[in-house]
Amino acid sequence: MTAVITLDAVGFGYGAVTVLDRLDLEVRRGELLVCVGPSGCGKSTLLALLGGHLAPSRGRIERRGASRTIYQDGGLFPWLTVAQNVALGVPRGASPAERTRKVDDWLGTAGLAEFRDHYPHQLSGGMRQRVELGRALVAETDLLLLDEPFSALDYQSRVRMRRELAATLQARPRTVVLVTHDIEEAVQLGDRIVVLGARPSSVRRTLELPAGRRPRLPADPGVAEAEQIILDELGLS
Amino acid sequence: MSGSRLPVRIGLPIGVGALLLAAWWIASAADAFPVGTVPSPEAVGRGFVAEARAGRLLTDVIASLYRVGFGYVGACVVAIPLGLLLGRSRLARTALLPWINFFRTLSPIAWIPFAIIWFGIGDPPAIFILFLATFFQLALATAGAAAGVPRVYYRVAEDLGLGKAEILFQVTLPAIMPQLLVALRVAIGVAWMVVVAAEMIAVRSGLGFLIIDARNGLRMDLVVVGMITIGAIGVALDAVFARLARSPAVRWGYER
Repeated sequence: MTAVITLDAVGFGYGAVTVLDRLDLEVRRGELLVCVGPSGCGKSTLLALLGGHLAPSRGRIERRGASRTIYQDGGLFPWLTVAQNVALGVPRGASPAERTRKVDDWLGTAGLAEFRDHYPHQLSGGMRQRVELGRALVAETDLLLLDEPFSALDYQSRVRMRRELAATLQARPRTVVLVTHDIEEAVQLGDRIVVLGARPSSVRRTLELPAGRRPRLPADPGVAEAEQIILDELGLS
Repeated sequence: MSGSRLPVRIGLPIGVGALLLAAWWIASAADAFPVGTVPSPEAVGRGFVAEARAGRLLTDVIASLYRVGFGYVGACVVAIPLGLLLGRSRLARTALLPWINFFRTLSPIAWIPFAIIWFGIGDPPAIFILFLATFFQLALATAGAAAGVPRVYYRVAEDLGLGKAEILFQVTLPAIMPQLLVALRVAIGVAWMVVVAAEMIAVRSGLGFLIIDARNGLRMDLVVVGMITIGAIGVALDAVFARLARSPAVRWGYER
């Protein structure tokens, strides 16, 4: 499987504080890679490095192709309507008619057609995340970077969004890197899970999960074992 | 209050005004004020009618609006780009912020001698004073707003492939617009407030000049005519900005 992004002994710090230290990681085309780790270990920093928004202090990052990042909350432009936000995601060469069609198609699919002229602050948290997901998906870029995208949502919305994400990826497979502190989310969605240690963090463990339905259920093969391993690695068992 | 019905929104302040007018009238009729200190409402009313009929009031209003307009718009044109630079560049902030704070604390009136020496007589020195009255606070407010734009917006813009000009016009300016509009609203109030001082110098028209001229002639009724006109236009200008603040493009900034 070809690598979309390769990190080779990457280090990063803010001033005197080292956040990531000698991190080796490969993101494979078509996989859903989940990064879990303790709070403050540099998960979001890692995603910013993967997205090309930060340059490493040490080591090398090789990126192949463009990416779109979806943030925990507040990634939508609040001065634009739902339709305008999604339209921004459409590739730049698209004609106005094509742009409108893509936006309308997506809003229809996501059940947000009646909210097309609403502003983000007029939507629920789950709807905002769906719009942000839509802005990323209409771009047709292969690589999606998700920075704790569902953590600001209530439990039911979170479960619903996991299902929607899984269904979206089944319909149109993409490469996804998901950063989360939610172990349940990691084992339900991930093809591979990377466990990061405390700061300065590096990869403590990588788990491969068996292929099958997503989101996985607690009784599915490998789920309970993976959860236990992650808890052990994070010192939480 | 913003949700209250139109008759209440208009009727209530008019009622308060009528009460104040009645109190003023009664106090005047009862000779409660020492002679020559506070004109009666009738005298002010007669002054209004006389100034309006002679066309002087309209000329003064236009002259003042012209000077405030030029000074204010000039300050916006220079201060907003400077504020954006200060907000986005740590180096510019380090170099310029102490100086902006230095000049900000100087009263525009302190510049009057220089305004006359540099710009002579007529509109330019008054416009210069009005420019100074608004420039520094607008630059600082823009800088604060630009520095506070969430970093995530710029990361999204990078992902979307926006260029520098697109980021300025499609991200930074819309993102700061709610705060900028508040700053513009405060600044127009300050400019309008300073117009009296600005027209104390080297001009022979405008509402500020009307007040100074009337004071020199001990026409306190015309002083009040000038004050009421300035206040009324100030309220109207503020209402324009309040209307702009209801636009969907900025309302998000006040409703979150």
